[in-house]
Amino acid sequence: MKNSVLKNCFILISILVSAFFISVLFQNVFSIDEHVSTLFAFAVFLISLTTNGYVYGIISAFIGTLAINYAFTFPYFAFNFTIPVNLISAIVMITIALLTSALTTKIKMQEAIKAENERVKMRATLLRAVSHDIRTPLTTIYGSAESLLSNSELTEEQRKKMLVGIKEDSDWLVRMVENLLSVTRIDSGKVKISKTPIAIDELIDSVIVKFKKRYPSQNVILSLPEETVFVPMDPTLISQVLINLLENSVLHAGDFDRLELRVIKDADSVIFEIEDNGCGIPQDMTERLFDGYFGSNEGLADSKKKNAGIGLSVCAAIIKAHGGKITARNTEKGIVFRFILSVEEENQNEQQI
Amino acid sequence: MNNKYKILVVEDESNIRNLVSAMLESNGYRALLAASLREAKLMYDSHVPDLVILDLGLPDADGCDFIKYVRGSSPTPLTPIIVLSARSNERDKVISLDLGANDYVTKPFGEAELLARVRASLRNHRHSADSGKLPGGKFELNGLEIDYDARRIFLCSEEIKLTQTEYNILAFLSEHCGKMLTYSAIIKAVWGERCEDSSVKKLQVNMANIRKKLGIKPGETKYIINELGVGYRMDG
Repeated sequence: MKNSVLKNCFILISILVSAFFISVLFQNVFSIDEHVSTLFAFAVFLISLTTNGYVYGIISAFIGTLAINYAFTFPYFAFNFTIPVNLISAIVMITIALLTSALTTKIKMQEAIKAENERVKMRATLLRAVSHDIRTPLTTIYGSAESLLSNSELTEEQRKKMLVGIKEDSDWLVRMVENLLSVTRIDSGKVKISKTPIAIDELIDSVIVKFKKRYPSQNVILSLPEETVFVPMDPTLISQVLINLLENSVLHAGDFDRLELRVIKDADSVIFEIEDNGCGIPQDMTERLFDGYFGSNEGLADSKKKNAGIGLSVCAAIIKAHGGKITARNTEKGIVFRFILSVEEENQNEQQI
Repeated sequence: MNNKYKILVVEDESNIRNLVSAMLESNGYRALLAASLREAKLMYDSHVPDLVILDLGLPDADGCDFIKYVRGSSPTPLTPIIVLSARSNERDKVISLDLGANDYVTKPFGEAELLARVRASLRNHRHSADSGKLPGGKFELNGLEIDYDARRIFLCSEEIKLTQTEYNILAFLSEHCGKMLTYSAIIKAVWGERCEDSSVKKLQVNMANIRKKLGIKPGETKYIINELGVGYRMDG
């Protein structure tokens, strides 16, 4: 808020000062002063265009009028309000200021409406895709439960298979709900997400514990920075990203035997990398990979690709909300996902421990 | 039959109430059921349960009110309380833990997870009830030993050198073994400070050192369990 006032004042002053000096130049070197009013009118137009709201434009119109009156009309360097030319230039400049400000404000409002519309559209796409996807596991759960209740002819093996199906598809629903909760967490406040400094060790620890709970047999090779590094983040959301990426490898990398999670400390940022040596993805997919759910591509949600769509889309949205970007790159064998978070803030490790 | 632990299940959803009750009964506990705060208070006062499993969203009040009730006015204020909730925000966890809940389980949960938490809370309650910080008090957990009098720590009989602060943190966790302790609770106990970003950082740096010295790798749930953004719990 304060910043924007400062910025606007700076724009106002610098444009007016430039206009003033150019006018002085014209007057002294070329001895013309008919263009002075035009020049100031142009300055007022520029100021109204680049500042927020009406105030700065109107202020500049007043200053402009006074400046012309004082410096560039006879008597020079004295105020004289009896000449009608001054009144006319004042009215012209204030009108320019008002109209331009009104126009730019309107354009800005339209941009906001457009962004809001896009959000609404994204939410609708998401809702449609999710409702559609939820039907599949619900079919298993509903159908199996009903059969188990009413059909006494089932063999022990059939019963067991149905129960396993219920369990698996509930797991899928749990993951889906977690991702949706993350999306609402980003979406609910228009303000930026709330970041707290989080120790990387603890973040990775809780991610691995959670991941091991779901995939007890999957080993993850870790490499972390030696010292304790703090990164400002929403811990729940970044955990979700890491879990989604690890899970993505388990579910989609096909045949692989190496899953690696690396955290690398850079000068003023921390790099996260998740790499597997599985099947990788087609090169032309690496860009589209992250907008499966939110993009306009509605056909995608229909295809059978269990959760990958929403998982990676959520990752991209979370990292974007943190001010970063997530990328996927094929390696010689497999794929590496990478995102970078800034350490910024004060990060002196307190010494009085 | 009478020496079964009595567990009060406070939950308004009948399906979940039945599920939890079945999980407990089939594992040798006795389940007492309540569907509202009013019923919960009645059951609590007349049956004096050994543990409470509490849902936060009750029809007639917030579950937190029951935590306040148990910790505040009842004759058995130390009864362990495990909160069972669909709210997964760190803030909700911290609020109920700081009110005095021992642990927090997020829905959906599995039988194994719930029973592990129940066992840990009951064990901790017994432990703190009979050992406390009496002279000559010792703590033992899967090879980790704490000699409170000498302020020394042993891991599989080998001494681990900790700084004063590290020892204080570990000792505090051990005294409340099985209970989830929030950052602010630990900071208050160890440094006597209010909980701020800088003190949480200090705690986390110390905790990282403790974990390294005890040889706990990231992702291992040995001795210290880390609940990101909330706090720590000591457990096997």
